[in-house]
Amino acid sequence: MSTVTRTPARPGAPTTAGSDTEAEKAEQEALAARAPRRRISPERIAAALTIVALLVASVFALAGIGINPAKMAQSWSNAERFFGRVGAISFPEPGELLYLTGLTLGLVICGTLLAAVISVPVAYLAASNTTPGNAWRAAARFVGVLTRAIPDVVFAMVFVLIFSLGTLPGILAIGIHSIGMISKLFADAIEQIDEGPRLAVRAAGGSRMQEFTAGVLPQVLPSWIATVLHRNDINLRGSVILGYVGVVGLGMQMSFAFKSLDYGLGLGYAVVIFILCVIMELVSSAVRAAMLGIAPTGRGLGDRMLRGIRRGRPVRAGAQTGAGRPAPTATPAAALEAALRRPWSRGRIRTAVWGWLAVAVVIGSILICDIAWGDLATVWAKIPAIAVQFWPPSFGSYDVETMLGAMGETIAIALAATLLTLIVSIVVGSLAARNVAPSPGVRAGTRFLLVVVRGIPEIILAIMLIVISGLGTQAGTIALAIGGVGLLGKLLADSFEEVKAGPERALTATGASRLQVYAGATLPQGTRALIGNTFYMLDTNIRCATLLGIVGAGGVGYYLLNASQGSNYGTVTAIVLMILVTVLIVEGLAMWMRRVFR
Amino acid sequence: MTNHEKPAEAVVQLTRVTKRFGATTALDGASLTVRRGEIVVLLGLSGSGKSTLLRHVDGLELPTEGAVEVLGQNVPELDGRRLRSLRSKVGFIFQQFELVPSLSVLENVLTGSLATARGPRLGLWSYGRSAKLAALGHLDRVGLLDRAYQRADTLSGGQQQRVAIARALMQNPEILLADEPVASLDPESSDQVMALIREIALDRGLTVLCSLHQVDLALSWADRIVGLRHGEVVLDTETQGLTKSQVMEIYGRVATSTRQLAAIEVELLTDAATDSVR
Repeated sequence: MSTVTRTPARPGAPTTAGSDTEAEKAEQEALAARAPRRRISPERIAAALTIVALLVASVFALAGIGINPAKMAQSWSNAERFFGRVGAISFPEPGELLYLTGLTLGLVICGTLLAAVISVPVAYLAASNTTPGNAWRAAARFVGVLTRAIPDVVFAMVFVLIFSLGTLPGILAIGIHSIGMISKLFADAIEQIDEGPRLAVRAAGGSRMQEFTAGVLPQVLPSWIATVLHRNDINLRGSVILGYVGVVGLGMQMSFAFKSLDYGLGLGYAVVIFILCVIMELVSSAVRAAMLGIAPTGRGLGDRMLRGIRRGRPVRAGAQTGAGRPAPTATPAAALEAALRRPWSRGRIRTAVWGWLAVAVVIGSILICDIAWGDLATVWAKIPAIAVQFWPPSFGSYDVETMLGAMGETIAIALAATLLTLIVSIVVGSLAARNVAPSPGVRAGTRFLLVVVRGIPEIILAIMLIVISGLGTQAGTIALAIGGVGLLGKLLADSFEEVKAGPERALTATGASRLQVYAGATLPQGTRALIGNTFYMLDTNIRCATLLGIVGAGGVGYYLLNASQGSNYGTVTAIVLMILVTVLIVEGLAMWMRRVFR
Repeated sequence: MTNHEKPAEAVVQLTRVTKRFGATTALDGASLTVRRGEIVVLLGLSGSGKSTLLRHVDGLELPTEGAVEVLGQNVPELDGRRLRSLRSKVGFIFQQFELVPSLSVLENVLTGSLATARGPRLGLWSYGRSAKLAALGHLDRVGLLDRAYQRADTLSGGQQQRVAIARALMQNPEILLADEPVASLDPESSDQVMALIREIALDRGLTVLCSLHQVDLALSWADRIVGLRHGEVVLDTETQGLTKSQVMEIYGRVATSTRQLAAIEVELLTDAATDSVR
């Protein structure tokens, strides 16, 4: 209703035919004087200025990186020459390829699971409604922020030093780095539960532990599983880069191929990883959609279908049992015994099949990883000696200017990529939103495109672009920007679909065109989410940009890899601290923005 | 069950209980005694302190001032395990049922036995066979045996509340607390649920303390009515043999706004008129 009354305030609307008479003018002025002044808090002004500053910086970064069509066209000729020189892409033999694929998948799954297991207590302590105290909460949040801020490559570098070769360094690196994101999303899910069932368990005399297992866990489980699947996809994409610092799997074989200048084979591996990531994303998207569909979120496709099916059911059920009288007829014990056997309903069969499949995948992952459990026991003695090598931090042979310049380049790549991603995502994300898309076909097509793009591993894309076009920083930026569209486009589409439909209907009722409804009702309601998600994107891009240098796409990553391979561990520490500070600043900025534009 | 020879022992005793949440006072020196086997309704509008009073009986809230004694135990003094043990003897039925939507009906009922089962439980397999049989028995009692393996959120509101009653029975309670148990239900289901609670209470000799806001429902259902207004006990009377004017006085005491009082007076006048015609 309020939107309707507000719409005449649009410029041009209120001027009526005889409004320029003196009396009416005076009346209007009096009205204007009576009207309250619009007040904006200083914090909002500061936040808006920050956004403008970041936008300007992004534009300059983009210009500085020098992405322009002429250069792109020129690089195509590089690509032609490249393929002329290298010849065709080649693949390893099928048996080896299969084993490496299994190994990579197994390693990633083990790492993600490790993180999931550790994240349960961390999330319990970090969630405002389950934490035993504020000190616990702060500690848990600190663990989350720290593990998230340090790139998994850094963890991998350290663990490769500590452990003898094998899968453990990779599993632990993924496992520890993923705690940050998984525990955060786990805690968010706990905070969103309905407190009622938990209260019911408490009222029945349940302990804190029982409150969690009987009241909280069943409510958060679907969202938790979706989180783990989501993180598993991210880890698979990230596992490529771990290969560069000595973690076994497809990524390592690819880095070896490139190092020995066997570009054809290297690209072959890249193509395999590329396809693997896209397939994984498709599979886990389908699983998540199916699972969250029956969860209480109620927004998934499955849920809507279920609701449609369910619509008639309670009526039939009521008639069947004669709900009118909860008959106190004593059922013989035999009937109760019979009722103990749980029928194999379709739901139970489905749950059982998925459950055993998951168990099989986990066991398979652990087996193929061939984990050297013994190392876990013997490793502790080695740690002090290695820890000493990482301290004190120093830039070693590099001067401060070079390092700060490299960090600046990393930030520029992230800013430029975020800007490109934002521009493309607003268009694509809108087309993928049910309430904006011109037709269901367009929406479905765009959604599918987004899933595919989301599956693309940025690093692989960067490597392929670098190898083929010969460009460095530009290739990295474009790779990051393309990868980002998959994520930001989806987030924006979801946020547009979640806006209240009322104002849209109200505008349509006033005779507004589709575009006017979009600009007047959909976009304003989605702005908050837009700002929040874009900062999340920037946050992600900064982390990812630090890694791009490892594959030769410019920025601080190059120096990180060099320092690690040259055993200058003090320099590794210094670079990590630099990354840490940057990431924390961006994360703080993102949190501030989300709070201001709440 | 009011026609005992000598009064049964008091199972719930609140003495001048005051509860403040910051600046607001939810209970203001409320005293109440409930004897074993009584079926008592707490009557009052929303915000009159009914829920807060009920939550004190189960130790879910602690009084700012005053004493709460339940089943011979001083509730504010109880610590972890003894408090949980007391709670297990007091069943609680909520307005919003508070079942876990994604769990099966049977597992929801089984959560009523957590206090005696001890330790974390997840999934039907984690409960013993005897517990499952007992839960099925309670489901049969509330007429929902055939729904045992359905998800709780596939049931209608009235059915969900009956599952919640079965969950409370699973605790083997001595006292049953119900906080607006039918406020979220349609009239037909709400009649069923109220009838079921009373039947079960009489069968098992349970003491019932139930909050309601509908005077007529309370009058036809309870043995005794306790009226609350602004956290104070303003009324405490047996329901048997009440005269019409006494009933109207109840309406008057429990209502707060002048508009409601006016409406009641109009009703009283028309009632008196029809009475005189007869």
